[in-house]
Amino acid sequence: MNCRGYKLCLYMVLVTLALAPSVSAAPVNQVEIEAVLDRDTIGLDEQAILQVIIRSADQNIDAPNMPTLPMFEVYSQGRSSNISIVNGAVSASLTYRYILMPKKSGTYPIDQIAVVHKNKRYVANALELTVLDKGVATPPELEDQAGDGQGGSKDYFLEATVDNAKPYVGQQITLTLKFFIAVQSFGSPELTEPALTGFWSEVIGNKPVYFQSINKRRYKLIERQYALFPTQTGELTIGRAMIRTTIAATNQSQRDPFDIFGNVFGRGTDVTVRSQPVTVKVRTLPEPGKPKDFSGTVGKFSITATIDKREVEVNQPVTVVFKITGVGNVKSVAEPLMPSLPDFRIYRSSSSENMTKFNDLLGGTKIFEEVFIPGQPGEQEIPAVSYNYFDPESGKYRTISTQPFKIKVRKPEGFVASPNVPFTPSELSIGSESRDIRYIKSDLGDTQAKGEILLLTPAYIIANGLPLAVLAGLVIARKRRERLQADVGYARSRTASKAARKRLSKAQALTKVETLSEFYAELNLVLTAYIADKLNISPYGLTTDRIMHLLEEKQAGEALVNDIIGVIKQCDFARFAPSSLSKNDMDNSLLKVEQIMAGIEGVNFE
Amino acid sequence: MNRPCQKNYLLIAFALMLPVGSARAQDDDFQAGNKFYENGDYQSAVMMFQKVDGAGLESAPLYYNLGNAYFKDGDLGRAILYYHRAKRLDPSDPDILNNLEFAGRFSTMRMEGVELNPIDAFLKSMVGGYRLKTLGWLASGFFILFVGLLILKYGLQIYFSGLNSAITTALILLVMSSGLTTFKYRSEFLIKRGVVIAQESTVYSGPSTNSDLEFEGSPGLVVEIVKESGDFYDVLFENKRRGWVKKDLVAVL
Repeated sequence: MNCRGYKLCLYMVLVTLALAPSVSAAPVNQVEIEAVLDRDTIGLDEQAILQVIIRSADQNIDAPNMPTLPMFEVYSQGRSSNISIVNGAVSASLTYRYILMPKKSGTYPIDQIAVVHKNKRYVANALELTVLDKGVATPPELEDQAGDGQGGSKDYFLEATVDNAKPYVGQQITLTLKFFIAVQSFGSPELTEPALTGFWSEVIGNKPVYFQSINKRRYKLIERQYALFPTQTGELTIGRAMIRTTIAATNQSQRDPFDIFGNVFGRGTDVTVRSQPVTVKVRTLPEPGKPKDFSGTVGKFSITATIDKREVEVNQPVTVVFKITGVGNVKSVAEPLMPSLPDFRIYRSSSSENMTKFNDLLGGTKIFEEVFIPGQPGEQEIPAVSYNYFDPESGKYRTISTQPFKIKVRKPEGFVASPNVPFTPSELSIGSESRDIRYIKSDLGDTQAKGEILLLTPAYIIANGLPLAVLAGLVIARKRRERLQADVGYARSRTASKAARKRLSKAQALTKVETLSEFYAELNLVLTAYIADKLNISPYGLTTDRIMHLLEEKQAGEALVNDIIGVIKQCDFARFAPSSLSKNDMDNSLLKVEQIMAGIEGVNFE
Repeated sequence: MNRPCQKNYLLIAFALMLPVGSARAQDDDFQAGNKFYENGDYQSAVMMFQKVDGAGLESAPLYYNLGNAYFKDGDLGRAILYYHRAKRLDPSDPDILNNLEFAGRFSTMRMEGVELNPIDAFLKSMVGGYRLKTLGWLASGFFILFVGLLILKYGLQIYFSGLNSAITTALILLVMSSGLTTFKYRSEFLIKRGVVIAQESTVYSGPSTNSDLEFEGSPGLVVEIVKESGDFYDVLFENKRRGWVKKDLVAVL
């Protein structure tokens, strides 16, 4: 469990113990049994829900023995269980639900509900249920609302009520939305929540569905509650809530005449119902008795403080945690005013809050951590811190206080009293700092172009792209080097051009009429050696036909092959009839060989 | 040096000086805004800060000061808008966080956020306090480290014990930091958000003033803009309530 969850659990246990001892967890090896009725008065045609809650560390407990209730029909609605572990102690509670439907008016005791466990009998508290004549239990306003104005009653309606129409500003009121429906409906009703302008609101939750009879009609009730805290005074209006649901079509004319499966598959009519707006008159807090440092907190709270250490050196921090716990809007609880302490520097470290619901009330804890840094050695005191709130129940302002803390401040090694020690209080009034906004910044800071995307900035592209390019370059170079070493054919093919050019320059030196035969012999060697290197074969014994055949295999162009054959034939011819060729022919042959080499570079010999 | 060449040098010098001069002018406007603020003339302070904002530059202190000036001028919606903008650029600044929280207390309506799923909540808690730039450069650092180690191994063929472990660690750090950067960018920049700036903002059930009234919003509420139609935004409030609001009542973050 995380820290927050742990704190929440701890708080819930504390609040439960403080506010509701009757529902506290049962001690280990003990059994507690409690009976609870949802209402103590019902009409003859209504029903009451009886809950029997059994609490024990032992979960193997039999169902309770119900007494004979001759004036009621009793139906079991099953059971639910809840297990909790607090500080290692396991506690379990089993809840059995029963519906009581009266047969006759009168007041009847419900007692002797018991459970037997390990040969011991445990008896629940006695209850009393009053059954009134038909319809008497229903308030007249509700009967009016349920009426359709023509002597009949509505199939459904939505009612909004508040428990207190004249609250103080900041005081919790509970808004209850009740959806009454007396006809069959399909699916879950869809709620549009009311406009709550002028309130800080929190949903308390939905209550279990129950039934109520109004004007001799049985309505199913869906109930939802909200905790509202008015944030301004005067007349405030809670807007209309709206519910959309689908009900069974009761009017035959509304049905589709071709829809013979309408009833089987439960198709109905979509209906919308709205509640009436509710007006609340919010009172201002009374001026008489209002403390000067009152921060606007309304509710019922207590304050505690804890200190992390009692002995420190000068300039070492001491943390005091202030916890304000209670019922009310904890989010509006302001930081307690810290006293002015010239021998301390005070910083607010952090604040946090936990909210919880207890029955219909919202409460929780707000925690402030304050850091005190002593500037003077000796016995020092962090005085009591007081806090004011307005209690709406009594209509009075209350003041609560923490206890003072005495701390021993040691002189650190090398401590010398100087004008800087003790520290002068900080220029900022730390205690009231959070009551106003913090001051503006004096420096424009690091600016950037609006909408600038880091990924597309030149610096980011270069910083990330450069190492990638280096890696790619190095890997390609290594692969090439490795292949040159391992693959002779590849190496010959790669170096063929270089070797041919070397020989070609040698042939170029022989372009004189008197060295014509040598020139053509060299030229022949240049070409055949170049082709042999490219094809990774021996140049010796390479005939014209074989060259032609191999080049055609490599899909060299026909023109290129013809050029090669032409030059080789000319070389052969020159060796046997050199007198028929001139220097011009030699230059042309040289040029032709260069063109052939360029053409062969484009052929794939892989 | 001939004359055309001289002219070119002058142009280059002028071009280089232009951003410097422009940045200086914006800093002067910013300081002028601060002076107005100190003298209690918050409307003039807003004008000067807006002038800097209008020049196409942004910074956390600029937005923070704008938020303060609007707050002091009584415009809660715009104050919260600019505090949010400042927070987006520098989420670790305690002054921004404090003033945003403080201004939020003045909003008459609270939309309690729906709890995030645990993974989203965990990732948000991881990246919430860091700037997007910081996370981006962190991811870039791990990328350079990762590629550097690959260069050693595959490019220069330098091997040493622990090299493979170092490559794996750098890769894990790179994936994590890139993932967190992407999450931050998606949740804070790709998802279009806005702040209600108008004092009165009616939320309708459809994109028309003839639609049913859902509820009345209040300045400072943060919304997610789901889509738009005509003059209306389809917005999702923090508590997942949805409705249509007129565009001019909401400022995009």
